[in-house]
Amino acid sequence: MNLFAVIAAGEIDPARSIHWLWPAAAELIYGSLASILIFGLLYKFAGPAVRKAMADRTAKIQGELDASAEARSSAESEAADIRRAAGDIAAERQRLLAEADSQAEALLSEGRARLTAEIADLEARAEADQAAAASRVGDELRTEISRLAAEVSDRLLADTLDDPAQQALIESFIQKVGSSS
Amino acid sequence: MSEARIEGYARALFEIARAEGTLDEVEDELFRFARAYESSDALRNALTDEMVPVERRQGVVESLLGAQATATTVQLVSMVVGSGRGRDLPAIIDRLVARASQSKDLAVAEVRSAVALSDDQQARLRAALANATGHEVNLKVVIDPSVVGGLVATVGDTVIDGSVRTRVDQLKSRL
Repeated sequence: MNLFAVIAAGEIDPARSIHWLWPAAAELIYGSLASILIFGLLYKFAGPAVRKAMADRTAKIQGELDASAEARSSAESEAADIRRAAGDIAAERQRLLAEADSQAEALLSEGRARLTAEIADLEARAEADQAAAASRVGDELRTEISRLAAEVSDRLLADTLDDPAQQALIESFIQKVGSSS
Repeated sequence: MSEARIEGYARALFEIARAEGTLDEVEDELFRFARAYESSDALRNALTDEMVPVERRQGVVESLLGAQATATTVQLVSMVVGSGRGRDLPAIIDRLVARASQSKDLAVAEVRSAVALSDDQQARLRAALANATGHEVNLKVVIDPSVVGGLVATVGDTVIDGSVRTRVDQLKSRL
């Protein structure tokens, strides 16, 4: 027999508890009814708000999960980009190194060629200078010889042209000019 | 100096010499002085140096010409040097000589010789040049050792060159 049947049968005093842990029957009934009423009211009035809050929380959690997934996807994409970029950087580095090697080789080759040309040019110029100097010295020597020869010839002439010779030249000039008209 | 100024000085000198009645002597002395001036760097520097006082430059003229030239010549050269136109003396004197010759209807004949010419030689040369050019000439003999031998005569634009120097130069260039 259940407790309510016992109470209904009047076998138990509703105002007294049958056990020290168990409330009195009346208290149990009213308490139960009050609890039901309260739970009912709670369900009626607070339930929607609670359900809404739960749904919002679920949506928020779902949103956070989605955001996390999206962030993860984005991070994975960025990681892929970075890995690809790193790969590109390595390739670019290799390309740049190869290009630098090529340019260095070209510069070296060009420098060698220029140096060779400059050496040839310097040698040619030195030879030309040498030839010019030799020619200049030769010219100076010739000029000096001519000057000395002229000086000697002038002295010889001056010695040769004594007064009778001078007078003869003057007379010859006068005669020549006088005969021309 | 401008041509007009040179001409002005030459005219002034010419008029003074003519007024003094010593034109022939003065122009001859001036001509000799001009040639000496041209051939001597020291004389040129002494008469044209702005740093030397004018009085001192005129003193140089007087000491050089005083005993050898007429007073008019000395005064005329001294006047030109004193006016700071010493640099233009040869041009002024050449113009004066040309003017003096023109006034006597003569052409100036400048003759360069290594040795001096006798009066007889000058007279015969004058006659020979007159015969050659068709003009009576005012003969001006310049002693120029660079001629070496023979003569070089210049009458206007005509040059008659019978110098040993020119013959030697021609020979040198031919060689």
